[in-house]
Amino acid sequence: MNEKTRTTVGGPEDPREGLEAVVALRRTLEALEAAQVENAFIAGWSWARIAEVLGVSKQAVHKKHAKRIRARYPGEPPERKGS
Amino acid sequence: MIFTRFTDRTRACVEAAFDEARMLGHDSLGDEDLLLGILRADEGIGAEALSSLGVTLEGTREQSEEMLSYALSSIGISFEEVRREAGDAFEMRIPDNRRIPFSPRAKKALIEARKEMRRMGDNYLGTEHVLLGILGNADGIGARILAGMGVTPEALEERLFELRGRAAG
Repeated sequence: MNEKTRTTVGGPEDPREGLEAVVALRRTLEALEAAQVENAFIAGWSWARIAEVLGVSKQAVHKKHAKRIRARYPGEPPERKGS
Repeated sequence: MIFTRFTDRTRACVEAAFDEARMLGHDSLGDEDLLLGILRADEGIGAEALSSLGVTLEGTREQSEEMLSYALSSIGISFEEVRREAGDAFEMRIPDNRRIPFSPRAKKALIEARKEMRRMGDNYLGTEHVLLGILGNADGIGARILAGMGVTPEALEERLFELRGRAAG
């Protein structure tokens, strides 16, 4: 499982490997988004500002992340301004 | 999914499999999660056969993460670096408010498990049938994880039948 095989065009040789990379990336992306949103929240960013940088609506960010993050930091929104 | 004839242990394994899948950030329940579920519930012939061949819950989780890391490295991404850069907040866990479905491979494994049950003339669907169902798909992640740990389908099947024989006799 350690040797990487590649075609000359640069993609993984085995289609399965290529597809599995997509799955791995998607899972990692989800975790990364959750972590970065949480980091921004801890840094005192408002949901509106987080949403703006992510390029999505405030509602979308709130729906996806607020419950999880609030549960982890009950009570004390650090220097929360705006929503 | 149809859970008819599932033993309580098998149900517990499926439940544990969902917990494992969530923890590892799997957005659907994979066949490898069924394997993890059997190990985590740690009851029944399936778990006994696995542990007698040196397959542990911890080792299997590590293999699963290893496969993720390998898949990312094949497209030039270091999982370890992503995790390090993201800091303490980074975790693969799927949030509680998100439901995850059975993956096609997991469904297939459970359908195969039912076939194994019939083939063996059993009237209950035990963890050994689930394990055989997982092994039935050599292309599945469960079988590949086991192969990565040096466990062949033949060795595992043999151990399962030994243990069944002992339980019956």
